Amino acid sequence: MDRSDKTMTTLGDMPSPRRRWTRAALVGLGLVLAGCAKDAPQDYFQPKGPNAEKIDNLQRPVFYIAGIVGVIVLGAVGYIVFKFKDRGQDIPEQSHGNPKLEIALTILPAIILAGIAVPTVITVFELDKKDDTECIINVTGQQWWWEYDYATGSCGGVEIAEPIVTSGELVIPTDTPVLLRITSRDVIHSYWIPALNGKRDAVPGRLHTLRMQADEAGLYTGQCTEFCGLSHARMRQAAVALEPADFQTWVDNQLEPYAAPEADSLAAEGEGTFIANCSKCHQVNGIANSDGSPVLSDPDLYVVSGVAPNLTNLLTRTAIAGWTFDILTEECRTTLWETRGAGFGELYLQGVTPECFDEVALREWLRNPTGMKPMFADATNLESTGGKYRGMPNLNLTEDQIDQLIAFLIERK
Amino acid sequence: MFTTGSKLFVGATALSTVGAIVFAASVGGPTGILGTIGLITVAIAFAFLAGINFFTRDGNVSAMEPGAEVNSAAAQPPVGRSMWPMVTAVGIGGIAVGAVSKPVVFKVSVIIVLAAAVEWMIQGWSERASSDRAYNDGLRKRLLHPLEFPILASVIAAVFIYSFSRIMLTIDKDAGRWVFIIIGAIITAVGFVFAAKRGMSKGTAGGIIAVGALALVGVGVASAVSGQRPIEEHPHINTAVCLGTASAEEIEEVDAKASQTVAAKSNVLANVYLAEDEHLFALNGGIGNVEYQEITVPRSTDVHVLFHNDSPEPRRLTVHLGTFPAADGTAGSELADCTTAVEAGGEAFLTFRLDKSQAASSTPYRLTVPGVEGQEIKLLVP
Repeated sequence: MDRSDKTMTTLGDMPSPRRRWTRAALVGLGLVLAGCAKDAPQDYFQPKGPNAEKIDNLQRPVFYIAGIVGVIVLGAVGYIVFKFKDRGQDIPEQSHGNPKLEIALTILPAIILAGIAVPTVITVFELDKKDDTECIINVTGQQWWWEYDYATGSCGGVEIAEPIVTSGELVIPTDTPVLLRITSRDVIHSYWIPALNGKRDAVPGRLHTLRMQADEAGLYTGQCTEFCGLSHARMRQAAVALEPADFQTWVDNQLEPYAAPEADSLAAEGEGTFIANCSKCHQVNGIANSDGSPVLSDPDLYVVSGVAPNLTNLLTRTAIAGWTFDILTEECRTTLWETRGAGFGELYLQGVTPECFDEVALREWLRNPTGMKPMFADATNLESTGGKYRGMPNLNLTEDQIDQLIAFLIERK
Repeated sequence: MFTTGSKLFVGATALSTVGAIVFAASVGGPTGILGTIGLITVAIAFAFLAGINFFTRDGNVSAMEPGAEVNSAAAQPPVGRSMWPMVTAVGIGGIAVGAVSKPVVFKVSVIIVLAAAVEWMIQGWSERASSDRAYNDGLRKRLLHPLEFPILASVIAAVFIYSFSRIMLTIDKDAGRWVFIIIGAIITAVGFVFAAKRGMSKGTAGGIIAVGALALVGVGVASAVSGQRPIEEHPHINTAVCLGTASAEEIEEVDAKASQTVAAKSNVLANVYLAEDEHLFALNGGIGNVEYQEITVPRSTDVHVLFHNDSPEPRRLTVHLGTFPAADGTAGSELADCTTAVEAGGEAFLTFRLDKSQAASSTPYRLTVPGVEGQEIKLLVP
């Protein structure tokens, strides 16, 4: 190959300007299309409740206006950069100040901001209205999961005779304005179900309220949005909206008395294992010692937050450990997540059926929780927390004990 | 092969590396990891400096260069005296004293030694940076003034603030008001004088300020030595008062003098009303006007209720916090907390926390008003 051939080859490898622009446009298009991902359950552009709709009605025009202004500004900057870039030409005549232009550039943004401020203030006040709520649920955040306790009384026409405690999944009746009373037991968290409403901080010692309402039965996901320590990214939650009749069924089931496992079964052994290893922190309502005395957990003695998830009806929920790890098979999970409206309640109320139960995550969690989720739960290093854990420690359970516990827990529904 | 300067840094590198290994092996957990990372970083920094010194041959001038014996930086006589050896000695003495007395003396002395070491090294280096003494002095200032001025200003401000705080804690509360009004007025007046007298010499202005500063620090030291004024101890609300088993005198004293601190900024879990007919009920925020006789309370977190006394008598709201076995296994006594007595038409916050499920207590969690029979609000703690 002579020198001229080499030169020609090199030039041929270089993309032409048109080709470069095409490539850049394709990359940009790919990025834009990524925003249209189908599997994006926390897309706040898809409101499913009146409060979220109010936010959406505000944010869309603001987004469009901001987008148009952004495009104009960027276009103008780009035009100026290319038009006046240094090509060795003479420096043009220098001038300073243009009162007309400066006044216009002050007044125009002021008008835009004033125009946005009016609907913003109206929306803020509308979102703050909570006097029509028909149900109270206490939502308490701690590292790194959410607890829900349902106040006694009427909840959208469904009578709750005793407090219900659950975690991870907030179950609410559809078309019912629900009052969430949000607080925290340790550090600041933030509760957010984007399809149903905006965020609300959970602050220790303070009680913040949030109105939540879902138009349609379904499962709406969210996550903690205030950095809260090691496993902030794994502090997730969901709101499950059920038709009122289904909600009644759910409430009745949550308040069902404890059903002890069949004697001499693996689950019965699991009950003993649970009492011996787990009940210091976790409560299963109704469980009793061999002498008939109730087994009462004392998480305030062992955990910084003072609580651990109540496991009375664990298998009515679809994920564990801060709603991070699914205990549903992929297929069942997809079906449940994609079902909306009629049919969702029946599907959800089945709980985790044997066909849908994926025990891998639960087994691994029991075997080595700190290996699955970063937590401050090393028993040899708890000086700074006065001997208390942040999260679940490794209990060094044997494989037999894990089998027993899974057999016991799978009946908690 | 190795120059004198690079030998120093090679030795420091080796020492830091050994320190890192020993620290990593002997201290575990996050402290061990952080300390090891710090020592490794120090070792890398020393190695870098050793490399630079080795590469530049300690910045020595060539022996063949004419006139180096006279003009080179190394050939210049030492410049003036340095206070840093003395400061370092004082710091080392302080470390020794602090090691056997108070940790704060030890920590401050360590800071003094480190600061003196930095100053000493940079002064020593800058005095030999060139043969031009003025340039060397400028070099030192350029390096150290950005550090010295903010630190010095912070220390002076801290001394002034500390002096002020000691004075305020010592003098009488009412007198303090007048003392600081007068001091503020004097400072303003002096400021006016400075502004009006443009021709005032620097020495006069500096003298006035120095006298003022010395007076402030001197009075501050005297105040610190004489100690705080007696601060009245208010009686605390206690279980006996809340349950009505304390003496009438104690109850009266508590109600008259107990701290009225309230969590006014915290949203309330419920508003609790004692109506004119002495009917007790709760309203939960956001649920209209439904009267509740029970409130569901999240456990292990502080909650607040606002008590409204609409009855004609002064009343207090008492929260019954349960009864639990004592540490020795014997039956414990009931725990309680309460508001002070609230005048008719008045309001008071009550903050409490329930760590245990209601099932763990042998008596129910509830809100009552002592003196009002048959009225209570149950507290449900799942």
